[in-house]
Amino acid sequence: MKEKLKSSMMTCEEFDRLSLDVDRADTDPAQAAAAAAHARICSRCGRLLESWRELKQDLRLLRELTLAESAPPRVEMRLAQELRKKREPRVPRSAVRIAAWAMAAAAVLAAAAGWKQWGGEIARGRGGSPAAQDSTAARKAADSGTLLAADYDTGAFTSLPGSMPSPYENQEILRVRMQRGALGRFGLPVAQDRAGEWVQVDFLIGEDGQPQAVRLHDSQEAALE
Amino acid sequence: MTNVEEKEAALLSRAVRGDEQAFLALYRKHQSPVYRYALRMTGSPWAAEEVVQEVFLLLIREPGKYRAERGELGAFLFGVTRNRIMKHLERLPKEDSLDARAEAGSLREPEDPLTPMMIAEKRERIEQVREAVLALPAEFREAVVLCELEEMSYEEAARACACPVGTIRSRLYRGRALLLAKLELLRDAPRRAGAAAK
Repeated sequence: MKEKLKSSMMTCEEFDRLSLDVDRADTDPAQAAAAAAHARICSRCGRLLESWRELKQDLRLLRELTLAESAPPRVEMRLAQELRKKREPRVPRSAVRIAAWAMAAAAVLAAAAGWKQWGGEIARGRGGSPAAQDSTAARKAADSGTLLAADYDTGAFTSLPGSMPSPYENQEILRVRMQRGALGRFGLPVAQDRAGEWVQVDFLIGEDGQPQAVRLHDSQEAALE
Repeated sequence: MTNVEEKEAALLSRAVRGDEQAFLALYRKHQSPVYRYALRMTGSPWAAEEVVQEVFLLLIREPGKYRAERGELGAFLFGVTRNRIMKHLERLPKEDSLDARAEAGSLREPEDPLTPMMIAEKRERIEQVREAVLALPAEFREAVVLCELEEMSYEEAARACACPVGTIRSRLYRGRALLLAKLELLRDAPRRAGAAAK
């Protein structure tokens, strides 16, 4: 009787607040009954409740149709992979730092060695041949104020016939003044009409003390045939 | 702590130590609601997949973020999921490819004794509901998804959204009203068009 009185007293505003919960399981049954009673006597609220129930049904259907939705299996695979990765023992940070420093030091050493080697090659290149750098003959020539052929020549020696090349480090340059015809004794072709000319010749002397190569100054090379 | 919670805590503890089986057991239990929530909120299967992955990656990488004394693992996961979804929605407010929509719309029809005509009508109707839910503003959509589609209680939904129960009720009320209005409009349009033709 008391409930009946309560339902008849429910206003449309009260119904609005409650209407959407009428069918919910957690709604107070007395209030739900009051709302339902109000909807029966009020056409506006009755239509609202009907529409809501229709929507509720649609939502329930949507829920049922999508209830089986789940993430694709690839997500599970990726996560399992990530877990395995995490499980693998990690290298301590200190070890990583030491390794990084060691690599950096090795890189610096390699760069220094490369620089040194490159510098040496440049110096050798400027000298024309290694023999020119530490040749006593060259030093003598420099002391006497004459320029070495290597200073203005291309630095190319012509190997003498039958000579065996030896390491540059063990060679010396010997500068001599001689008649052009004497070059024939070393197996070199000489133009007979100029055999009596005096020329300045550099001999490359090998480790065994024998001449291995020869070069003339530019102006004189043309006469050597 | 209930038996289920105890079991879950034990599984989590093993999973944190690298037990793959324990982790997968937890994943299989919780992934589906997380995925559905993300899918219903974003409308994109790709985004939902990404969200699920991020949520469980957090559990692998930072398990300490979950504190059993604060609540159930499921609620924690929902909270994380919600944050990811909101970030996604902020980042891509209007990005919804047609392919994704088409894919999301491919509902699996249960076996139904209805005629093909009725099935088609029902399908269309459900599609309308789904689109109407997706068209709701995010906070109302969330309340509808959690309370209506996931059938959470107001308290559970409030915990997941980290807001008072009153806020959830109010959002749900407005969400439902907007849904009703939209669906009424959609359903009345053909009727009005039919009446005009007569």
